Amino acid sequence: MVLVSAVRDYVYRMLQDISGMKVLILDSQTVSIVSVVYSQSELLQKEVFLVELIDSISKSKESMSHLKAVYFLRPTSENIQYMRRQLSNPRFGECHLFFSNMLKDTQIHLLADSDEQEVVQQVQEFYADFISVDPYHFTLNMPSNHYYILPAVVDPSNLQHFCDRAVDGIGAVFLALKRRPIIRYSRASDIAKRIAHETALMYQQESGLFDFRRMEMSPLLLIVDRRDDPVTPLLNQWTYQAMVHELIGIQDNKVDLRSIGKFPKDQQEVVLSSEQDAFFKANMYENFGDIGMNIKRMVDDFQQVAKSNQNIQTIEDMAKFVDNYPEYRKMHGNVSKHVTLVTEMSKIVEERKLMLVSETEQDLACNGGQVAAFEAVTNLLNNESVSDIDRLRLVMLYALRYEKESPVQLMQLFNKLASRSAKYKPGLVQFLLKQAGADKRTGDLYGNRDFLNIARNMARGLKGVENVYTQHQPLLFQTMESIIKGRLRDVDYPYVGNHFQQGRPQEVVIFIIGGTTYEESRSVAQLNASNSGIRFIIGGTAVLNSKRFLKDLEEAQGIARSNANVV
Amino acid sequence: MILKELRRRSLLGGLCKTNTMKDQSFANGESRYRLQLRKGAATVGLPPAWVDVSEEIASNVQRARVKMNELAKAHAKALMPSFGDGKEDQQNIEALTTEITNLLKKSEKKLLQKLSAAGPSEDSNVRKNVQRQLATDLQNLSMELRKKQSTYLKCLRQQMEDAADLEMNLNGNRPKEEDDDLDDMIFSEHQMARLKQSEVYTVEREREIQQIVESVNELAQIMKDLSVLVIDQGTIVDRIDYNIQNVATTVEEGLKQLQKAERTQKQGGMVMCATVLVIMCFVMLVLLILKEIIF
Repeated sequence: MVLVSAVRDYVYRMLQDISGMKVLILDSQTVSIVSVVYSQSELLQKEVFLVELIDSISKSKESMSHLKAVYFLRPTSENIQYMRRQLSNPRFGECHLFFSNMLKDTQIHLLADSDEQEVVQQVQEFYADFISVDPYHFTLNMPSNHYYILPAVVDPSNLQHFCDRAVDGIGAVFLALKRRPIIRYSRASDIAKRIAHETALMYQQESGLFDFRRMEMSPLLLIVDRRDDPVTPLLNQWTYQAMVHELIGIQDNKVDLRSIGKFPKDQQEVVLSSEQDAFFKANMYENFGDIGMNIKRMVDDFQQVAKSNQNIQTIEDMAKFVDNYPEYRKMHGNVSKHVTLVTEMSKIVEERKLMLVSETEQDLACNGGQVAAFEAVTNLLNNESVSDIDRLRLVMLYALRYEKESPVQLMQLFNKLASRSAKYKPGLVQFLLKQAGADKRTGDLYGNRDFLNIARNMARGLKGVENVYTQHQPLLFQTMESIIKGRLRDVDYPYVGNHFQQGRPQEVVIFIIGGTTYEESRSVAQLNASNSGIRFIIGGTAVLNSKRFLKDLEEAQGIARSNANVV
Repeated sequence: MILKELRRRSLLGGLCKTNTMKDQSFANGESRYRLQLRKGAATVGLPPAWVDVSEEIASNVQRARVKMNELAKAHAKALMPSFGDGKEDQQNIEALTTEITNLLKKSEKKLLQKLSAAGPSEDSNVRKNVQRQLATDLQNLSMELRKKQSTYLKCLRQQMEDAADLEMNLNGNRPKEEDDDLDDMIFSEHQMARLKQSEVYTVEREREIQQIVESVNELAQIMKDLSVLVIDQGTIVDRIDYNIQNVATTVEEGLKQLQKAERTQKQGGMVMCATVLVIMCFVMLVLLILKEIIF
């Protein structure tokens, strides 16, 4: 909640003191930041009657000097160029500039030089530099996410951009929380180390800004690498929010259904936000079977209301109908949205035989038995109705688990995959193994490295699981449990600088370089709800599903290959 | 220029003040002032004409709100038991209700006629958004008015029933105490008087209820018209990024349509026909003149 309310507060403060008709000008990143927390009707209440993007507004020449312009931009050099052009030919009466992160002095000077007509009224920094999709989940939505996979020498400038954006985002989160953290990072990952040190450097340089009152326990910032847990983004999901993202795709809490079929105009794009939709909030972490039942219940309730609405006999009934019409309309919209989503997802599950595939996936991720696994994967590879992406995922999951055992069988699987899938880029699985293989990972992904974990696994196996499809727990869950018990090993997760924490932090922000998944945000929400005394917040450079993860891998592989060719 | 301002301020010692302002906002670290130079003294240009209409509607809405508060008070007063027959209270309520309904109707008409915008320009977007916001305000007001009226109606009805019950009880208790014959005569007189009174009472109340129902209908009409304009909260239409995309696509669509229209116009057979006919006319004219000259 705290992240959402922090960003809302910033937007409120931007608009509050400026009276009269306003136009809000955003850039492509800040439009996402604002859209997930503030609605159009709320903007209208604040007399913001036009919202534009800064690149499109530069093209128009209409002069609207009766409007006051409120600019909310990221302080990139591109935006500064646009601003300079705007300021030299101002179209609006007044300009109020707000930036989502720290401005360099050179940038201020550039702006000052262009402000010939003195339209700028104020310049402020409001640190809303992240997209808060859920109460404890934020993302940076980076378009080119794949740079974390490549070593620094391949493309240093893009990697620097990547790291800068990550550091900016992390800084903004802690400013919103009004705290200054102690930083730990995952030892095996170079990029985690780099980002951790750059964040520490930023704190040193801007110490005036971050001088909050020191409480006893500083919060903990833990920077980890996606490659420590490559299994979670590859798995198919069966809880509502994660499943919608995996099968259809959620972007900034919006779902675009146009890619999967034809729908009437008002159902082409829908909003799935736990803040605004009570049904979604209650069901976002439930599994598919339970959702079906809850939706049925919702539809029954709605049908009852609809029936009573049709039965209008007296004037009183009519009056009651008109009274309740807005509620009725909202309920109708909500019901159709959820019914559409669940129907489409059921169709996809049917088409791609996901129940079958997912059972094997979960076995690969959780249980042992190499021989059985090999057989299952081979069968599924031979099955005609399994799609290419599912085949690729199965082989990857098998490879990640059994890379050391029986290399012959592994080669067989690779060959079979290459022969069956036309679009498969050869060597992708090997690339993944090179990046995220057992030697490269911190932590114990499969619970088979130390005796305690093996014992735990056996106990779990004996106990049995409630639901075969949701038995997987992301590695993050174990990490968070270790933090709760105060047993996060220094060997695996060293500190930056000379801080040592005695005891448990009360607030922990985990930043996953390479992206988070909705399955992990679900674990975070569940742990937060269990009152362990620690509040966890999770964030990443993007929100992954298997498609996105594979795309990042492919792009990284492509660049690595072309680099190798050049060299 | 901002830079010049900064330098000037440092000479006047103003920079120290700006610095302390900075430090203050560091104290909670939420935001940082870089510069705040002038407060609202810039030239804001003259707005276009439709803004006057929107301001008029906004002031109507404000007036309606004030009157609604008065109406609430009048309702409360009318429901309290009083010694008079409460006629002036009723009239007051009626007058207020009609006034408010008229204000809302007028505003709604103006909203739908004067503020409707055409064309994909930026100004029309602003207009559309202003229209939406006023529509939301108007709809909220109508709903509030309806709620107030229906609660008033309910209380009225309740009172009617209570009064009728009370009378029934009173009537029921009397016979046991008086003589039979005298009973009947007095009884029937009393009964007649009571009946008449309750009749009058009922007719009164009926009329009131009828009026309220009428105004309910009017408001329902207003709400129906406005509901196309009002944004449903929580849906995709309420998202800022969706609206920006939409604007971009509508502008592009508009451009495409215009280009298509231009092309079809140019290629139009109509233009060809017209040109041919005009040329024919000239040719005929020339022939006519030649005919006159030769003959």
